[in-house]
Amino acid sequence: MKTLKSLLLLAALGTAAGANAATIEMTVNGLVCGFCAQGIEKTLRKNPATDDVYVNLERRLVAVATKPDADIPDERLREALKDSGYDVTAIARTERPLAAIRGERAAKP
Amino acid sequence: MFKNCRRWACALALAALPLAANAKPIAYAHGTTAMAEYGAGTMTEVQVSYAPSYRYSFGGGHLALDGELDDRSRDITYLRANFLPKRWNLPAAQANVFVWGGIGRASAGDDGSDLTAWNAGGQVDYETRRVYASLRTDWHESSAFSHRIDTLQVGFAPYLHETDELAVWFVLQARETTGGLTDGTEVAALLRLFKRSAWVEAGVTQDGKLQAMVMFIF
Repeated sequence: MKTLKSLLLLAALGTAAGANAATIEMTVNGLVCGFCAQGIEKTLRKNPATDDVYVNLERRLVAVATKPDADIPDERLREALKDSGYDVTAIARTERPLAAIRGERAAKP
Repeated sequence: MFKNCRRWACALALAALPLAANAKPIAYAHGTTAMAEYGAGTMTEVQVSYAPSYRYSFGGGHLALDGELDDRSRDITYLRANFLPKRWNLPAAQANVFVWGGIGRASAGDDGSDLTAWNAGGQVDYETRRVYASLRTDWHESSAFSHRIDTLQVGFAPYLHETDELAVWFVLQARETTGGLTDGTEVAALLRLFKRSAWVEAGVTQDGKLQAMVMFIF
């Protein structure tokens, strides 16, 4: 069972570098205030490759759904979060829909 | 000495007190912040600022003030620049050091005299999703007087909020003013609510006077 979980995790990570990835998930430091975090959505939505944005303070997560066959370079992502006042510590690309990531919120404390 | 103070300079001194003391003076790059405050029956203020970068912002405002220790009214229109020299983004907290400076013109009631004055100040704050603390100092100088106002705030959130939920904070504020603007330390208990880009705050001082503020960022 543990091996299966590891394989599933590796499979998920394997999609991270895919150019057609649907979602970019960023781990962000300093994300403690919902009012102050408004700038994240505003800044990221200006990017033409952005389809939707989701911010979760509990998980220190900023997720960006990109438009089909579109991507945002890591430098642009870090720059956008810096402009919003925060620091990105990790970036991963997955094929998980943003709705699914939003749904995880209720499942996690 | 206080009797010789120009009304506009007193107003400039108090203008910076409640608004920026409760919030960060810079929102985010290309963000505009609008605030309005009613302060304990002696002050009404509106303020707008724009941040070209997350490190600095520029703005202006207008203040109408009735002095606590004299009965003259004061009106001031001012410009101000804010700067963020240091920010710590930690995994579960954020801390900041802000500094600012400004200049303004004001009409002073009885003789309608017009005077130029400037202010400078700084703020350090620390915030998690549960607790908030800030210490702020403002120094105000003119040919008529010099003031320093120190404000300490500590806040507590009874529950954790997300960006799409109503945030509730209980805030205790203590303020000390030099130069004879007020008498002793003023303590206020405030209820702070915000959701998305709207912020509302209200409370009472130890004298039972209302203090309230609204703020929007867009």
